Amino acid sequence: MVENVQVEKGTSLWADAWKRLLKNKLAVFGMIILGLMIITVIVGPPLIRWTTGLTADYIPSDGDLIRSFPPSMQHPMGTDEAGRDLLARVLQGGRISLMVGIISTIVSLIVGVSYGAIAGYLGGRIDNFMMRVVDIIYAIPYILIVIVLLSVFGGPNTPGWIGWLSEKLGGAGNQGLSQIFLLFFALGLVSWLTMARVVRGQILSLKNQEFVLAAKATGVSTFAIIFRHLVPNALGPVIVYATLTVPSVMLTEAFLSYLGLGVQAPYASWGSLAADGIKNIAIFPWQLIFPGVTMALTLFSLNFLGDGLRDALDPQTRKF
Amino acid sequence: MLSFILRRLLIIVPMALLVVTVTWALIRIAPGNFYSTERTLPPAVEANIKKKYGLDRPWYEQYGMMMLNIVKLDFGDSLRYPGQTVNEIIRRHLPYSATIGFFAYILALLIGLTAGIIAALKQNSIWDYGSMALAMLGLSVPNFVLGPVLVLVFALGLYLVPPSRWGGISSLILPVITLSAIYAAYIARLTRAGMLEVMRSDYVRTARAKGLDEKTVLLKHALRGGIIPVVSFTGPALAGLLAGTVVVEKVFAIPGLGNIFIQSVFNRDEPLVLGIVAFISILIMIFNLAVDISYGFLDPRIRYE
Amino acid sequence: MQEFIGKSLAVSLICCFVLLSMTGCIRSSAEQKYFGIVKVPSDNVLRYVTGSEPESLDPQFVTGQPEARIMMALYEGLVEYHPITMEPIPAIAESWEIGPDGTEYLFHLRKNAKFSNGDPITAKDVVFSFRRGLSPELASRNANLAYYLKYAEAYNSARAFVRNPDGSFLVKDGGAPAAEPAAKADTFGPDSEFHRFIDAPERLTVPGDEAGRKKLTDKDAKMKALLEGKQFVPVRAEDVGIEAVDDHTVRLKLYQPAPFFLGLLAHQFFRVVHQPTIEKFGRAWTKPENIVTSGPFRVAAHKPYDELNTVKEPNYWDAANVKLAGIDFYPLDEQTTMLNLYKAGELDATYNHTIPAAWNDTVKQFKAEYSLHPEVAVDYYSLSVKKPPMDNLKVRQALSLAIDREALAQFQRTKKPLVDFTPEGIFPKYEEARQKVYTELLTQQGSSMAEWKARIFDAEKARKLMTEAGFPVQQAGSGWSTPSFPVDKVSITYNTSESNQKIAEFIQAQWKQNLGITLPLKNMEFKTFLPYRSAVEYDGVVRNGWVGDYMDPFTFLNLFYSQQNDGATGWWDPKYDKMLDDANKEVDEMKRFEMLATAEFYMMQQQIIVPLCTAGTSWVKKPFIKGMYPNPGTLHAWKFVYLEKDSAKWTKSMDDIMSEKDPAVTAQIDQLVATQEALKRSKAVEKTAE
Repeated sequence: MVENVQVEKGTSLWADAWKRLLKNKLAVFGMIILGLMIITVIVGPPLIRWTTGLTADYIPSDGDLIRSFPPSMQHPMGTDEAGRDLLARVLQGGRISLMVGIISTIVSLIVGVSYGAIAGYLGGRIDNFMMRVVDIIYAIPYILIVIVLLSVFGGPNTPGWIGWLSEKLGGAGNQGLSQIFLLFFALGLVSWLTMARVVRGQILSLKNQEFVLAAKATGVSTFAIIFRHLVPNALGPVIVYATLTVPSVMLTEAFLSYLGLGVQAPYASWGSLAADGIKNIAIFPWQLIFPGVTMALTLFSLNFLGDGLRDALDPQTRKF
Repeated sequence: MLSFILRRLLIIVPMALLVVTVTWALIRIAPGNFYSTERTLPPAVEANIKKKYGLDRPWYEQYGMMMLNIVKLDFGDSLRYPGQTVNEIIRRHLPYSATIGFFAYILALLIGLTAGIIAALKQNSIWDYGSMALAMLGLSVPNFVLGPVLVLVFALGLYLVPPSRWGGISSLILPVITLSAIYAAYIARLTRAGMLEVMRSDYVRTARAKGLDEKTVLLKHALRGGIIPVVSFTGPALAGLLAGTVVVEKVFAIPGLGNIFIQSVFNRDEPLVLGIVAFISILIMIFNLAVDISYGFLDPRIRYE
Repeated sequence: MQEFIGKSLAVSLICCFVLLSMTGCIRSSAEQKYFGIVKVPSDNVLRYVTGSEPESLDPQFVTGQPEARIMMALYEGLVEYHPITMEPIPAIAESWEIGPDGTEYLFHLRKNAKFSNGDPITAKDVVFSFRRGLSPELASRNANLAYYLKYAEAYNSARAFVRNPDGSFLVKDGGAPAAEPAAKADTFGPDSEFHRFIDAPERLTVPGDEAGRKKLTDKDAKMKALLEGKQFVPVRAEDVGIEAVDDHTVRLKLYQPAPFFLGLLAHQFFRVVHQPTIEKFGRAWTKPENIVTSGPFRVAAHKPYDELNTVKEPNYWDAANVKLAGIDFYPLDEQTTMLNLYKAGELDATYNHTIPAAWNDTVKQFKAEYSLHPEVAVDYYSLSVKKPPMDNLKVRQALSLAIDREALAQFQRTKKPLVDFTPEGIFPKYEEARQKVYTELLTQQGSSMAEWKARIFDAEKARKLMTEAGFPVQQAGSGWSTPSFPVDKVSITYNTSESNQKIAEFIQAQWKQNLGITLPLKNMEFKTFLPYRSAVEYDGVVRNGWVGDYMDPFTFLNLFYSQQNDGATGWWDPKYDKMLDDANKEVDEMKRFEMLATAEFYMMQQQIIVPLCTAGTSWVKKPFIKGMYPNPGTLHAWKFVYLEKDSAKWTKSMDDIMSEKDPAVTAQIDQLVATQEALKRSKAVEKTAE
């Protein structure tokens, strides 16, 4: 009986939030665009290959074709300087960009949530120490961390599981992808800090509530208290923050691409395509417009969705 | 309150030293060194260089020497630019970044606060959606795209301002706008959210009930509370801005600290990297402290033990 | 509500497109005579961009090309680069003679050369500058450029002579005690004690420290016996083969003939610095308030990362012929940024490789400004010849043959296909000799020059060789596949840069299309890449390139000389070393070139590298700049450069600027080389008189 009441209450909370979310037209708009984008990016590349035979890394061998063509029937977005079809590259770049966003956010979720929750729940000296560690990492330039990670663990020293992961997700014979996964990992490692702070704040306000005290009294282990009782209750802000982490990670990846530290050729991301395009904006504007607008639209949708989720799930918290 | 500030100030020093240590370790782990170039050096030349810079000594000795000097606030000479001390470089290039950062933040505050307040006051109106959509645009366009586009239009198309390089107020306009875009967007969103929350709160309702006029309610009560998220954002943002932002400095060829820092990492210029990291980390911590203190003044509910 | 969303989205999207469409109108307005605004600077100051911020203003210390161009304004050496050909022309030395055995040089300095503080430049200053560059304490990365001087390497690497208890020294060969220095009949120039010492048989040198010697003797028992009970005398700066014979005569002594050495002396490493200033200020001597320079321009102000202002030096000996009032150097390396400045008329000229590949087609239309000339530089890929599958010659040859170099060059816009190692179109005399030698050697092998040239691209033969190497190439649909090739053991590694990436992607595509091999690409941050490449840790293929230090093919062939070489292939062949040594001993120019060509042929037959292209200069200058030529190193001797106010005399086309005779520049060069020509003539008269 008691259980039933709880379940019902939980369902209504989420259902309520969902209803509120649906009311927010901008968020719905964001969700639709994002959904479409994900579907396009998944089915797009094979479809293009099937209809026109173009792949993202196909460089024509005829010297005359190796230049940037404006949009045409054959190449709806034009081609880049190497004569590669831009549409195919934007779609393939979308895979990478969205993966960067999502995988890095998952890494930052896993690390940030456990770290923040542990620090917040244990409190006292341990909390103080753990938070100072966060402060220190916060002050270390992440560009240095990225360089070190990419150079030390890149190439022959790539950890086996990264190679395994990239093979599973990218198909065999794609060693180039492992560097990208390293980048996901590196970006995740530098973006968990704020997440840890957010979660800690939530846990601090939750840990003295009755249900935690009750669980403690009945002898539930610390681990279980943190991960079975506290974290699920702090999920609202975490989801909100995670939605907002995705676009910020994507922007960071774009910045790294601009510095030449981003994805590995022949792969591209929206960020690296935009960074290449901006150099030629005066001559081949389509090289910037298509990847740029696609990326901006996606970031737009993600931000709208994040805002909507915040309003729906947790109208009380402020951002940060 | 005072003891709180003192405690936080005292902890800054060891934390900065820790940051420096970790950074030092990272540079040492990263392959490559400051003197390598396209051509391989003969072993004799390499040995001379190692001897000159003490790189032939054991690592703990090198680390000890470095820390000792840093405690004395002397970061030594840059390795890439011999004859220039790290302190000198920071002192020389900070003003460039700081000027641009300062103006960019002022501009961001002006735009962001105005847009945010209007959006909050006229919630769900065209003003609200318009300004929020603009803010979203600011958050969605990378500044390495915004900068060159502005240059193309205003410097090379209309010839209103110089395309890049430092010199005169007109050369500041484009970098300041480029830099402020994303901050203005953040501030607008934060202000809107903060204001909306405060306006629903009891004390604003009370103030209204007391019959105070709308202007006083807004400026004295609602704004003061609603601005808190902006203040907490200002801390790290300002530190980052003052220390320079790489993209804007690269695009506009401004001799600021941000670009120099990135170059020093690529050059493996250890003293310069450490010097700038130490400087920035202290800056961040001080700004964060200032933010915490200012909470006390803005929000009477927050107290420090 | 719906309406509002629509409107707010529309607002932001319109903003986006207005900005972008405005860029469109600008594009059309750019179709005019010149690339951007052309306005002659009224103050007669040239505004030039020379790449990233100079490391220092110390000529003996700096290494990069950006710095080299600044050093050419601030300092002068014994010789200077000819503005068009880059051959050495007189500078502080008004004339020189080379000894009959090719190891001795006698330089006659001009008597009116002065530092920027008015002090005269004498032979002592030249000697000081050379010794300073070699001192282990300065630890200059360029020190090895001077290793051709006798005992220079020994001094720079802190080695020691070995002295017998009786005071005589051991010589290098056999370790017998040195003969007592005696005046030799063929002494070149005036006699002196130092000259007798330096002309005597080469002394043995050993590491200067105990640990180094122990390492040596542990390996070599004979050496251990030889060094027993001997004294070790450190090699001093004073022992290096440079001597101030009198105030205005400098004598150099090399180990062995090096016909290119004179050209090398124009390098910034050999330019003259002011001893009292360096001793007085130590590390701070290059600060604008302290610095004393020797060139046609002096430092007026230096704002690092912003600008370096130089003004004409009134004390410079040839000040009458320096036409610019000053040069402002801007430290920029972002191509787009500098071209924006150029278009806005705030910059007058850029340096080599500053036009982004995609812009070339557009910028090339501005004939009066765009320069594309062959450069003394090559792009190639090194192969790790010690590791399988690259240890197989046929695999290496197949990979090289499977690249369509014409298409690659066309793709890159600024480069020319390359099938050999030394750049094409840079050393015409050498190429003539090479043509002759190759034809002979190929005929001996039953091949022909035509077949050799066909290596530019031959996919058919590449597949055949690949199959012969044990990796059969099969037809797969419209393409090819080589399933047995170990693609997991080979990757194309390059350091991160836009152009490197494009070449790598292109070559990856070529090998995929012609051999059915898809090699992964791997890019690395520059400083990570360098040790990785030089230690030959890479798998299979790595990006490489070389810019010549002087105008002689040896600067390229030298890359594979000695066991520790810059080729980064792991290949080393004593036979090749000997061929180069022998060639350098040859006095006759053409004969030497033929011998060098034989060595190049030998090396190319091993296919330790995949040659790709000869680089092109690719930069722009405003049409009013005259006397600035697209020479093979893009190194401009600044005193020939001037700004022409009269637009009728402006550069019309950069394509034929090299053959254009500018009377002002020609007269200036003629006047300069007159002293050397006069000396040559008088020597010739002497010879015939004998």
